[in-house]
Amino acid sequence: MTNHSPALQTVIVVAVFAAFYMRHLLRRTLRESLDLYDLFMLSMIAVVPAAFVFFPRAADTAAELAGVAFPFVLMFGALLAVVFALVHRLTVRIHRLETQNRLLIQEVSLMRGDEAGGATARS
Amino acid sequence: LRPQSLDQPLTQPPAPSSGRARVLVIIPCFNEARMIGQLLDEIHKLGAGYDTLVVDDGSSDATYEIAVAKSECVRLICNLGIGGAVQTGIKYAHSHGYDFCVQVDGDGQHPPDQVQALLEAQAGTKANLMIGSRYRGGDTDRSTWARRQGSRIIARVLGMASHAAALTDPTSGLRLMDRKAIAFFAQRYPHDFPEPISIAWALRHGLKVAETPVRMRAREHGTTSIAGLKALSYMVRVVFYILLARFEPRIKPRDHRSESDQP
Repeated sequence: MTNHSPALQTVIVVAVFAAFYMRHLLRRTLRESLDLYDLFMLSMIAVVPAAFVFFPRAADTAAELAGVAFPFVLMFGALLAVVFALVHRLTVRIHRLETQNRLLIQEVSLMRGDEAGGATARS
Repeated sequence: LRPQSLDQPLTQPPAPSSGRARVLVIIPCFNEARMIGQLLDEIHKLGAGYDTLVVDDGSSDATYEIAVAKSECVRLICNLGIGGAVQTGIKYAHSHGYDFCVQVDGDGQHPPDQVQALLEAQAGTKANLMIGSRYRGGDTDRSTWARRQGSRIIARVLGMASHAAALTDPTSGLRLMDRKAIAFFAQRYPHDFPEPISIAWALRHGLKVAETPVRMRAREHGTTSIAGLKALSYMVRVVFYILLARFEPRIKPRDHRSESDQP
């Protein structure tokens, strides 16, 4: 376990990134470009590093509880889990939209065909 | 892959025909301007009373213009691939109450006179899905060794996965569906590798699948999209999908008439 406090530069960089990114996410959510789930998951990219930087002792304790030697391993693990959850949800959503898109194309094409067509050709 | 509300056909099918069975020949097409007119003429010359539906899968050539002069046509507003095109035809057959639909490829490989062979075989076996096999009774289209071996492996996996009677040509696109199969595939139809996977789904959900020998022709224009490493990739993915179908929860195909009503 480490007991090093992060350098001032690190704190500043992480704080600035977190502030700007959270502002960006909140604006997007207000414009309904993102839903609350997206806001929550994406904000983890800013919140998790910030939590580790601003509360190094808590990070050490969490790492100890998780049984890992270095807090940053826990941080990257947490971020990876967030990314996996996000990618999983996006994949499911893309496939659902793809299916709906295909079905809509079929239904619209059939309706257009019914409107345009007369009697079915019989050989 | 659960049936969704959008999966449901928009219209309820009319009551089953009381007299002669109504047969719809579905012809999925993508840039088949050179062959489609000739194919439709061949079907009409048969004088067998088949209705035809050309599903133009977003062609950029004159396929639609040629086909619409000779047949009922549905033009997909963008390319969906063979699975999406065929399912569009099946939905049409379902909503218009056809007794049978037969898929005939638009590239001219499937001679229209073989539709009768499928209908006769279906009458004998009462199969819900009747596959036209080019390998049963001799390879009539002289396909490549790799293709034959691929078909053989897929057929073997299908047989093992579903305990079904041995099929010889699971990748054949020349196939007939009765009302039960039409109702089932109107709800859900595979979009990747539709021919073999639709067989796996049909078997999984209790449809009867059978095969009959048919004659096929060599492709006159264009080349197969499944060659070389693609063929190997095709086979591996198909086998995986077939095995995956084993774990699907069974759903009962919606039938709109009892077996005894079948012509």
